[in-house]
Amino acid sequence: MNAFIFLIAAQSAESDGQIAQIARTFGVDWPHLGAQIISFSIVCAILYKFAYRRILAMLEQRRQQIALGIANAEKIKAELDKTESQRLEVMAQAHIQGSKFIEEARAAAARVQQEETNKAIAAAAQIMAKAHEAAALDHDRMLVELKREVGKLVVQATATVTGKILTPDDQRRLVEETSKQIAV
Amino acid sequence: MKITKKAKREAKQLYRFCLVNGLLDENRARQVVHRVVATGERDCIPLLAHFLRLVKLNRAQHTATIESTTPLAVDVQKAVQSNLERRYGQGLTTKFAQRPELIGGMRIQVGCDVYDGSVRAGLAALEKSF
Repeated sequence: MNAFIFLIAAQSAESDGQIAQIARTFGVDWPHLGAQIISFSIVCAILYKFAYRRILAMLEQRRQQIALGIANAEKIKAELDKTESQRLEVMAQAHIQGSKFIEEARAAAARVQQEETNKAIAAAAQIMAKAHEAAALDHDRMLVELKREVGKLVVQATATVTGKILTPDDQRRLVEETSKQIAV
Repeated sequence: MKITKKAKREAKQLYRFCLVNGLLDENRARQVVHRVVATGERDCIPLLAHFLRLVKLNRAQHTATIESTTPLAVDVQKAVQSNLERRYGQGLTTKFAQRPELIGGMRIQVGCDVYDGSVRAGLAALEKSF
């Protein structure tokens, strides 16, 4: 330890000599240098008190604002994520509800279609029944007309033929029949 | 021309006066008409109109129209007349007529009574049955 101290002292003594030599070489004026150091320190103290602290405070404020902005951004992002999840959930619910509505609408449409089909079938059956009835009536009417026409033709033919084939005996017999009718 | 109830009533009384045993006496009817005309009353025309109507009805009820296709033999005519008199009594006037459109048989009309034994009537009935 002592040896080390002696070595350092020897080196410092040796270095003092070197420093002084260098200072002399470069023209260092120790009092002048000390005054400049003191004045520079005073300037640094003044700058630290009146400028640097304020700048640091402003920088701190900026940093806090930035941190607050980042926090807000993160909050906004979280809100956005939450909103997105809610949107997705709402969309899913809307999809489910829409699907449900579509199914209900399809069921209602099928029911209405079935009802309309039944109505159409009933109307068609009614129309068919009326048509059958009308056809039957027309058929009966035509049969009656045909019968009447046939009867008329038969009577005309009979009248034409009978007048020619009736003999005087037949005429007499017919007259006597009418006469007997009165006598009864 | 309006015939009043009074004219109808009086015409009916005159008409009854002209009946003898239920038959219309033509002479009485003529006398009635002459006397009514001779009175010259204002309502004699409606009275005589109704009287004429009653006389026409009487004539129609006592007139038998016998229609046939061919002229009837005399014996047949007599038989028909006797049958009609038996049914409607004496005083029946008979008129015989020919109607070829009857085709065959005979048609007798006495007032509103019709005895139609013609072929035409039979065919008409046949035509109605269709």
